[in-house]
Amino acid sequence: MRLIARLTKLEPVRFVSHLDILRLLQRAFRRAGVPLSYSQGFNPHPLLSFATALSTGYTSGAEWIDVKLDKDMDTDDFLSSVNAALPVGFEFKEAYAVEDRLPSLTALLESATYRVTFSADTNADELKKDIAALLSGEIIVEKRTKGGLKNVDIRPQVIEADVAEEAGHAVLTVKGVLNTSGSLNIELLMGALARQSGKNYDYSVHRVNVEFIGGRSTPV
Amino acid sequence: MDKVKVSDKLLLSVEKPARYTGGELNSIVKETARLRFALCFPDVYEIGMSHLGSRILYEVINSREEYACERCFAPWPDMEKVMRENNVPMFTLETRTPLAECDIVGFSLLYEMCYTNILTMLDLAHIHKRSADRGENEPIIVAGGGCACNPEPIADFMDAIMIGDGEDMIMEVCDAVLAAKEAGLSRRDTLKKLAAIRGVYVPAFYEEKRGDNGEYMGVDKTEPSAPDKVERRILMDLDRAQYIKKPIVPYIPIVHDRIALELFRGCTKGCRFCQAGFIYRPIRERKMETVLKAADELIGCTGYDEVSLFSLSSGDYSHIHELVPQIIDRFSSEHVSVSLPSLRIDSFLKEDLERMQSVRKAGLTFAPEAGTQRLRDAINKGVSEDDLLRAVGDAFSSGWNGVKLYFMIGLPTETEEDILGIAELARKVSALFYSMPKEKRGKGLRLSVSASSFVPKPFTPFQWEPQDRKETLIEKQKLLKSALKGIRGVEFSYHEPDISVLEAVFARGDRKLADALERAWELGARFDSWDEHFKLDAWNAAFEQTGVDPDAYAHRRREKDEALPWDHIDSVVTKEYLVRESERAYHAEVTKDCRLGCNGCFGEKYATYCKIN
Repeated sequence: MRLIARLTKLEPVRFVSHLDILRLLQRAFRRAGVPLSYSQGFNPHPLLSFATALSTGYTSGAEWIDVKLDKDMDTDDFLSSVNAALPVGFEFKEAYAVEDRLPSLTALLESATYRVTFSADTNADELKKDIAALLSGEIIVEKRTKGGLKNVDIRPQVIEADVAEEAGHAVLTVKGVLNTSGSLNIELLMGALARQSGKNYDYSVHRVNVEFIGGRSTPV
Repeated sequence: MDKVKVSDKLLLSVEKPARYTGGELNSIVKETARLRFALCFPDVYEIGMSHLGSRILYEVINSREEYACERCFAPWPDMEKVMRENNVPMFTLETRTPLAECDIVGFSLLYEMCYTNILTMLDLAHIHKRSADRGENEPIIVAGGGCACNPEPIADFMDAIMIGDGEDMIMEVCDAVLAAKEAGLSRRDTLKKLAAIRGVYVPAFYEEKRGDNGEYMGVDKTEPSAPDKVERRILMDLDRAQYIKKPIVPYIPIVHDRIALELFRGCTKGCRFCQAGFIYRPIRERKMETVLKAADELIGCTGYDEVSLFSLSSGDYSHIHELVPQIIDRFSSEHVSVSLPSLRIDSFLKEDLERMQSVRKAGLTFAPEAGTQRLRDAINKGVSEDDLLRAVGDAFSSGWNGVKLYFMIGLPTETEEDILGIAELARKVSALFYSMPKEKRGKGLRLSVSASSFVPKPFTPFQWEPQDRKETLIEKQKLLKSALKGIRGVEFSYHEPDISVLEAVFARGDRKLADALERAWELGARFDSWDEHFKLDAWNAAFEQTGVDPDAYAHRRREKDEALPWDHIDSVVTKEYLVRESERAYHAEVTKDCRLGCNGCFGEKYATYCKIN
């Protein structure tokens, strides 16, 4: 069967990388007795993929995975058994059985929303001004591509941005494009902010959600 | 106790931050404990987490509820730099406790080239590096592991050194330190208690004797209650307990990223260059049921997809041909594969190979060690060319096309013919592959030939031998390289000779090396076993500035009646036996595997320690 599920990654596993999560999920599935399917061939690999990768150092409320299982499994059983086997900081929040003809999750993605929490010494009003200034025109950043470094304007990838103060911290909520033709890279945006404002901001990033085609919060 | 604060920003600025963040599955966190033990591995996380012994000790200590054992690894140079810039002291992964606030700080010594990292870790911990300088409130600094069998080069830095198997000894050390702490004993009295534990060596209770020309003359005891000789501790029954019950599963890939099932300790082969083959005697096998039960439980609690059958020579395990099929049949439906890290050529079967490849093809490694039968006999590597070709042929016809051959150059009695013999053997292996019909073998051969440089080690029959000088090693490498040219499918690799020479210096060193070690560290020596970090200039300057002649340690032949710096360590195998074996080497006489009958290596005193016959 094909199953999709939403994983959250919070403290203390912020520093676990994308590839490491793939590997730890395989192990968690084995511990939980979830019959993950493997590809045929010389070097079988597990049929498990993410809708999109997450940067090392980020936390997230919405990492969608897409897996194939050798046997049918009740989605509630999947959630309870895998969650019991996962290290602290990881938890699946919802799971759905889906048909094989559903396109890949990556193809269904539209955007992602991030919360960037700044250190306590950051002045929210100043940050608000700096962000407004940054968003007022083109945001040219150097991007590494196959053909070398290239200057690109990432302003069109920013859909919405808002600064607020929460519990003594300045918080930037930003919604950015996330699809196969290009995605907003928060590090590039923050790098541009530092360059333009001349301030060395200290922050941490949480992916709040991803939105699928039509702005939906689940792919089904 | 204040926990060490490490900011996210700092962690994001270094390579692989997960090396320093802990929190892995099955790690054990105890906020309160009567005794805190910092188990330190003086190399990077990925290496340290691959060490079976440290994993055993971690679970052994933590099995006592009131004892907390926490891990600490050498920070990679990028992390060391940011720790210094931000005044972050060395901390444990589990509770971020500063090392200086632990009761015991213990180092695993697996190879000589990690010694500078010990100094880095002590320095970052703000703990005095020398035992003699440490105050009453500093932790007790201990060490153990295979490399501790000649503890002298690092003796000045350690309060106590554990010789031999640590499972029981480490608990006795913890108990003694806790009792001493609660009774308010002085540091010296605590060390006296430790010296009373069998297998524990307290360097401060011994002093080097020097002759008129500064030559080493043995030790004088400075504390009457300390033993004359420290007898290696041996754990006799490996079935008594399953020491590893819930191994930590790292987030980042480590070197040995799999379940290690220990089959036995010790080795019966007696290869004369091999320290492990002598210092872990006698052979002690675990029952097959113990191993199978462990496999079941460990796969269940880790989710690993690979188990490795671990020992010095897994093909020699009495039940190997029953065990391999049983494990494979049991777990292949779960996509779990089996690997044997140390295969002996003469002991495995084609059927085993075919079974092993049914899940996944791992590389196959053979270690003939020498290129001619004469030299293989001299080093007592009881393997013939026919054995090798038969085994490699079996592997090729079972679909393998990647084979590694390990050799050593610079062995005692070696001649040019022996070096050229390595290339000859490689040529035969390559020819064997290409003589097979195309449909019966893999596509292209990948034959990797690796030549390490011989390093004479304490407690081996070759402990008196001079090591080849660097120039000689380089010449031999060149000779081999040109002889291997043109052989289809061969890739040649060899070791950095400067590192092998330094290893030889420390392997047979005495306490005079402490100053050189500390000076090299001050001059920036770190991670010396890593080619990219090895700083020859720092070492050369350090030896010169401290008046140490490294050549005298590495390249000088010792007399058989000369006092050796490790003579006050009793490794249980007798010196007489080692002398006999070294003489047999010169006559290229093979000594039989002790499974075929006792060769008397323990002498009369310890004869009952070995249960094999």
